[in-house]
Amino acid sequence: MLQKYETLVLMSPELGPETRQELLDTMSGIIDRDGGKVLLVDDWGIRGLAYPVKNVMRGYYTRLEYALPGESVAELERNIRIADGIFKFLTVKLADHYEMEVESDGL
Amino acid sequence: MAYKKRFAPRRKFCRFCENNETPLDYKHPEILKDFITDRGKIIARRITGTCAKHQRVLTREIKKSRQMALLVYTATHSCEVKKRTI
Repeated sequence: MLQKYETLVLMSPELGPETRQELLDTMSGIIDRDGGKVLLVDDWGIRGLAYPVKNVMRGYYTRLEYALPGESVAELERNIRIADGIFKFLTVKLADHYEMEVESDGL
Repeated sequence: MAYKKRFAPRRKFCRFCENNETPLDYKHPEILKDFITDRGKIIARRITGTCAKHQRVLTREIKKSRQMALLVYTATHSCEVKKRTI
């Protein structure tokens, strides 16, 4: 049963755009493979951090909104932990249930 | 006869009940910043006047945005980093 989640990911600023894109592609690949759907990729860009994370005062934020069955979120987070360019991440459940066809709002 | 000194507090209201489209979540640290002291501590309800329901949500959101380095935990973070990063 699909539920809507959102994950805010804090990546290292030294990563080039292509490695960043590659990280995002692996994440969305996992989401699609587990029967989910990426709804929105919202880039916040490089922002100053409130406190140093791994001795770095700036980080690249990306917010990923997606729908995924509940049990495969842990799988996504396991892969996020494996990836080395990602410093911090936070997954939040948005809506309780999400129907694939409801989202295609009629014109 | 000395009049009874009455402390006239300013009317406190819950900012999130007042106009309820102000986004109360960890993604907007500039709004949450009004509810923490300059040392980074969460200000009490009786001072900011927020209602109990929104104060409970507020503390969770502040703790989430602290975790994502959007808000400070304490004012004494060693912000100066030895090597200058980009």
